Amino acid sequence: MVRSRPDMLEISTSTSASSSSSSPERAAYDDDTDFFTTQRNDSESSIGVASLRDMTMSPSREREYRLSPISRLPPELLIGVFTKLSSSMDLRSCMLVSKTWSRNSVDLLWHRPLCNTWQNLESVIKSIRETGGYYPYHALVKRLNLSNLNDRVNNGTVKPFMHCNRIERLTLTGCVQLTDKGVCSLIYGSRSLLALDITGLDSITDHTLRAVSENCGRLQGLNITDCSKVTDDSLVEVAEHCHFLKRLKLNNCSLVTDESIIAVAHHCPYMLEIDLHNCRQVSNVSITALISRGRQLRELRVGHCHLLTDAAFLDLPKNLTFESLRILDLTACHHLHDEAVERIIETSPRLRNLVLAKCKEITDRSVMAITKLGKNLHYIHLGHCAQITDTAVVQLVKMCNRIRYIDLACCHRLTDTSVKQLATLPKLRRIGLVKCQSITDRSILALAKATVEPRQKPLTQSLLERVHLSYCINLTLQGIHALLNQCPKLTHLSLTGVQAFYLREDLISFCREAPPEFTEHQRHVFCVFSGEGVNRLRNYLNESPETLYDTEGTMYDDREGEDMDTDHQVAGLMHATGLNDDDDDDMDEVDGGDGSQYELEGER
Amino acid sequence: MAEMQKIKLMSSDSAEITVHRDVAERSVLIKNMMEDIGEQAMTEAIPIPNVNEAVLNKVIEWCVHHKGDPPATNDDDADSRKKTTDIEEWDQKFMQVDQEMLFEIILAANYLDIKALLDVGCKTVANMIKGKSPEEIRKTFNIQNDFTPEEEDQIRRENEWAEDR
Repeated sequence: MVRSRPDMLEISTSTSASSSSSSPERAAYDDDTDFFTTQRNDSESSIGVASLRDMTMSPSREREYRLSPISRLPPELLIGVFTKLSSSMDLRSCMLVSKTWSRNSVDLLWHRPLCNTWQNLESVIKSIRETGGYYPYHALVKRLNLSNLNDRVNNGTVKPFMHCNRIERLTLTGCVQLTDKGVCSLIYGSRSLLALDITGLDSITDHTLRAVSENCGRLQGLNITDCSKVTDDSLVEVAEHCHFLKRLKLNNCSLVTDESIIAVAHHCPYMLEIDLHNCRQVSNVSITALISRGRQLRELRVGHCHLLTDAAFLDLPKNLTFESLRILDLTACHHLHDEAVERIIETSPRLRNLVLAKCKEITDRSVMAITKLGKNLHYIHLGHCAQITDTAVVQLVKMCNRIRYIDLACCHRLTDTSVKQLATLPKLRRIGLVKCQSITDRSILALAKATVEPRQKPLTQSLLERVHLSYCINLTLQGIHALLNQCPKLTHLSLTGVQAFYLREDLISFCREAPPEFTEHQRHVFCVFSGEGVNRLRNYLNESPETLYDTEGTMYDDREGEDMDTDHQVAGLMHATGLNDDDDDDMDEVDGGDGSQYELEGER
Repeated sequence: MAEMQKIKLMSSDSAEITVHRDVAERSVLIKNMMEDIGEQAMTEAIPIPNVNEAVLNKVIEWCVHHKGDPPATNDDDADSRKKTTDIEEWDQKFMQVDQEMLFEIILAANYLDIKALLDVGCKTVANMIKGKSPEEIRKTFNIQNDFTPEEEDQIRRENEWAEDR
């Protein structure tokens, strides 16, 4: 967030205290960050005197200052204090203290009215409709998020908000009862709208998107995931009228074709992130245009765009590099070959996240090209790229030692040689080796850095948090025990289909429940430890070494909770990671290889 | 060397205070002034007409303690969003002053443009507000309630939803 201090002359609505400094921006007190965090407060404000100390104070003012020192604060500093209050409750208390306090806190409170319960929503609506209200609340609302009540919200619910014409961020995720009529009532006249999220509103048509193009010239973010009735007709208009678009998500909008995407590439030069996941009619020309024209493009996701071929990248203009591109997701773009990957790396040297899962044609040649990303590479997914061998992985690790996340699921040619090399990555947090069936305990011991005596602290502490080893059938208890003891941050360990675990009733007791949709067989082999389960497994193995390798052992450990503190830390860390590193869960193993066996992963 | 240089500041009550230049330049206002007036600043005291000696000394104490702090980054902003009123221990102790001084420090930090100090000040006051009822807030800061009972009732009613958290 850029902290600018806009120098502006503000219109004074008050003759109370005054000061020279500009209005402090309001720190966003919610977590939906992204765009536009700076916002001026338009309540009472300065009249441009250098400082209140410059003024000769009237005796009564002097007395007030002495009696109540806080009255010295000019409005913008009072607002600065209120900005630090994160709860609506506290802001509401401030509103009731005095008229000055009220005027300076009402904007902050109504910036984002809390519509998390039906009761609150009704109360908000009542005040917005009120014509004789103490404040014109409808004009104060800048953010409206109804996604918490999505199943109950309908066109009638949102109608009272039609006069809230200063909304900047409108989030209607999953409000599936809403139709064009309801959404349009909110869009008409909303000239300030910066971000619109109507994910999952599948009855929305071009009508709404046309209203967006006609009314929301400042729009920067648009998410119409799963709005599958939307067509090029309206999207082209949006592209033509909303030049400031920075983020666009069109996942599963199956009618979208190259026409829209090329219009976006031509008319929206500030595009930062675009997600076309499963837009199956989108082809090479779109991707070439987006990359070559979007000089600020940072993130491009085109997973499952099956029409893509090597030409999408080979046709990029020669001698140009795209320094902004950090994230490229090409999941299941089956027709890509090594030539395309080589070109991608050549033109986008600063890629940080690269997803090539299920690009089945790629070979070691692609991986060798990827090594050129060097320390820029943090996140690499090569799951189901089954042609890859140890040679390439060893080279990748040597060249790209800042890798934090790597997935090599179903790369069945890989052996312990690869994993031993991977274990040397100093920042590794997550490793996916599902169905790498050749690997043995030697790999796991390497990951545990257990070359030293067991239980002795390794030189550098492992950062591993999530380890996916399902169907690595050769693994035994020894390796995993060492791993558990050397990786204090571990919160997820999957061992589905590994006999040494799923056959052990005592160990299974620490494993989490299989998802309800699993078949009997899938339940039988299911074995995933997560969160507290990892700690319990570790404690159990440490406390009963005599039964450890005895398959008859059925001792239970009920001393759970003893590691609560560490667990909280880890959970906090995971949370932070989730914020920084884009969707780790996307990387979770879902083995679609034969469709019969898979694991559902995720936190908890 | 630049950081060994000393400069003089002149408080509103005409006290001269000598400080290391790098300490004084925690203040963006002073930093800009130094750039504007150049060499002259080395010989003559820089007037700080809005801050008296006691407050200026207090502000300098803060600047000395924080002179090694790295400049604020975007990451810090992301953090501060989560726990907006966390204050480090030294700053908490530093801010244990009477209200008169507390608000003078905030005004001085604002005038001198020392963002981090202003931030600590605002957080300190926010912590004094947190969890209190309107009446308790009035008592804490000695504020007169200038609402009529009807007005107070109306605002209470119109903002009912905010009682939630």
